[in-house]
Amino acid sequence: MSRFLRFSFRDADLPPMSCKVGRRGRVLDLSLIAWLTLIWVLLWSTLNLANVITGVIVASAVCLAFPLPPVDLGLRLHPWGIIRLAGYLLYDMYTSGVRVTRQIFSSTPHQAAVIGVPLRCRGDLMLAAVAVAVSNVPGGSVIEVRRATATVFLHVLDADRPEELEAARRQVWRLEELTVRAFGTRDEIARVAEPPPPPQLVAGRPAP
Amino acid sequence: MNAWLQILDTAGALLVLLGAAICLLGVIGMLRLPDVLSRSHAATKPQTLGIILVLAGVALRLRTGMDFATLALIGFFQMLTGPVASHLVARSAYRTGQVQHEELLFDELDEQLTDGRQPPGPA
Repeated sequence: MSRFLRFSFRDADLPPMSCKVGRRGRVLDLSLIAWLTLIWVLLWSTLNLANVITGVIVASAVCLAFPLPPVDLGLRLHPWGIIRLAGYLLYDMYTSGVRVTRQIFSSTPHQAAVIGVPLRCRGDLMLAAVAVAVSNVPGGSVIEVRRATATVFLHVLDADRPEELEAARRQVWRLEELTVRAFGTRDEIARVAEPPPPPQLVAGRPAP
Repeated sequence: MNAWLQILDTAGALLVLLGAAICLLGVIGMLRLPDVLSRSHAATKPQTLGIILVLAGVALRLRTGMDFATLALIGFFQMLTGPVASHLVARSAYRTGQVQHEELLFDELDEQLTDGRQPPGPA
């Protein structure tokens, strides 16, 4: 006879931070529910008991109605890494704004290029996080992400000099390292600690 | 109202103005830049910086903890959703042949996408 609600700290079969509801055994991710509740409370802009309770109810209902596969996303939170990533992003966003402004008002036409940058991390979530981080900073906007080879393709606005492209690549790798150090598992962190892939994978192309 | 509050209010107003100006720059860039991919740069990057400055300005004027958290949430979602939208626009522009390949210096995606098959032209 199974009980209606089973929590993962009582039941080793369940993934961490989750609970199982009902006979059919729908698995709810408790950290996801906590996050959705936090958003709900923030949207109401008042922290009181009623908001928290309705938030938990709404979050559970949403999770039951739109179930996600019970997989380990590979999301870990490293507070110091998150602070470093946020600081770097804010600084970069400022320089990004300045650079795009200069490009907008420059009278000479610039040369754009599409480059592929192979990444070192492999997790889906990490790929997505790196792509989002890259889009927010100067240099490139993401056109395409190839999951099999973990390569992001960027459109670089001023690619007049080869150094610019090299700088764009290095920046993507730097951001990748920061992002994975903020959110990645230990495996992924070990992977990004290694040097970036050798240039012949990227540079085997006619010189501009 | 003491002097500090006035300073905070003024700083907030300045930040809002600055953020709005940067958003305006993004719009000008949309008009001036030549093609879809370049325009997507102008549409996303100054916009994100602008909205974060506006939010910081509003936070300086509201000065309550809960409003601050809500504004942080807005900024978070802006940074999360903007790149997704711009990626989708860029991707569909690329794949439907809205990109002038001869104007690009070089194109590493094209080599991998086509793989010796027909180049992606306008259908």
